[in-house]
Amino acid sequence: MGAFAAILRKDLRLEIRSGQSTIALFALSLLIMVVLVFALNPQPVDRARDAAAALWVALVFAGMLGATRSMIAENENGCMRALTLSPIDPGALYGAKLAASFAFMAIVEVAAVVLITLFFNLDFGGDLVRLAPSLMLGTLGFAALATLLAAISSRTRAGDLLLPILAIPLFIPAIIAGVKASEAALSGFPLAAATQWLGILVAFDVLFVTLGALLFEHVIRED
Amino acid sequence: MEHFDYLFAAYTIIFVVIFAYVVFIWRRQARLETEIRAMEERLKSLKTAPPSAGRAKSAAEN
Amino acid sequence: MTTLILMVVSLYGVFEWVPTEEDQGIVQRIFYFHVPCAWVAFAAFGIVAIAGMFYLWLKDQIWDDLGYAAAEIGMVFCTLVLITGSLWAKPIWGTWWTWDSRLTTTFILWLLYGGYLMLRAMADDTPQVARFGAVIGIFAALDVPVVVLSVRLWRTIHPAVLITRTGEHGLQDMRMVVTLLVSLTAFTALFGWLLMLRFQQLRSRSRLSTIRRDVALIEAAAGDY
Repeated sequence: MGAFAAILRKDLRLEIRSGQSTIALFALSLLIMVVLVFALNPQPVDRARDAAAALWVALVFAGMLGATRSMIAENENGCMRALTLSPIDPGALYGAKLAASFAFMAIVEVAAVVLITLFFNLDFGGDLVRLAPSLMLGTLGFAALATLLAAISSRTRAGDLLLPILAIPLFIPAIIAGVKASEAALSGFPLAAATQWLGILVAFDVLFVTLGALLFEHVIRED
Repeated sequence: MEHFDYLFAAYTIIFVVIFAYVVFIWRRQARLETEIRAMEERLKSLKTAPPSAGRAKSAAEN
Repeated sequence: MTTLILMVVSLYGVFEWVPTEEDQGIVQRIFYFHVPCAWVAFAAFGIVAIAGMFYLWLKDQIWDDLGYAAAEIGMVFCTLVLITGSLWAKPIWGTWWTWDSRLTTTFILWLLYGGYLMLRAMADDTPQVARFGAVIGIFAALDVPVVVLSVRLWRTIHPAVLITRTGEHGLQDMRMVVTLLVSLTAFTALFGWLLMLRFQQLRSRSRLSTIRRDVALIEAAAGDY
């Protein structure tokens, strides 16, 4: 537990001090949102569906860039190698990186939710609260995938191209379920209506967090 | 026979794709064999040039 | 050689012998190629995952070579599944593609192993990259059972011929069953042959790398003196 907490604190503190990545990520989400608003040209009747779509697109692309950048930074200053050589349980290391990733993505998500409310003309109210489960589950799932896959892609040539190629196909089931659940929430349906989709998200998260923790050591080992 | 062209296309594509893959393997094999021959040459030249290796060995032993 | 004979026999079966299906007409015969391609692809991807696990566990390069060969061949057959499926779909459904669950999950499978092959192609041949491949191969193979079960789990317009949704057998004529089995055997033989070919080639390449490294070391040591 000690290692987990220590690494998590380190990552959070680094980010809070520099604050660069999170701001850039927020700016990126904003811009993606802008593109989608103009591309989708939402009509009032489609608001919930288009807003859900925009949210998840922003989640995927911003998350991907965030993951790549943080891994590259770690590799560059030799931090990753140091962590690998230390006797830290790789599962704990994975967990810490995952938690940090999740925290940053979650902050950006909250900002993105505010943005879609403005852009797509939604109401600040119960709908947004009901959006939380699907969004947080999706963010967790994506962070789980990205933490593992970014460790791979950051060590190969053209790694930043490789991450989407690897991550997106794996993430598609979560996208399908997540957008449906988000759309239901934004359309005013109670959470019970989306149990099927939320169930898929939960299963997805459990599967990929577990797999990530188990396989992380094979990915960071160097020889 | 309606739609025969679809059946024909499917069959042809299967054949072409498998054939292309076999050709791919075949060409890789040719390249591989050139490299193997080159490696065999180097090994041969190493075996027929022992003096420096012998000197290294005795130097290490002393 | 056996492969060749089997392939010829199955071709004869598909084109001459088997009776024409009533509703769909002659296009239905694509089924006798499409289904074996799918089974071969699934088997190949299963091998990738198992080889990947053995590689992570035993760390012997031979498992990585097997996995890589299987991934390539699986990709070939997965591509054929999608293409032959489309060629069947256009006359029967009126569209080349639709996003039903069987097609979508198979497409995801295709993308996943495409990613695997891109990773191997873009990165160098180090044990680290081989480990990456093993991890990706394991992840990607999770989709295979999903594809197989997709027809049962979700509503889909993809035909469920072999075991229909009510649990029985969908092929009316025994000759169809026989033809399918022959075709399946032929494609499995083809798969085995291709796998052996590519696997042995990758083995040779790996061994060559090791030898090259050793020779370079010897040459360097000899050169020092």
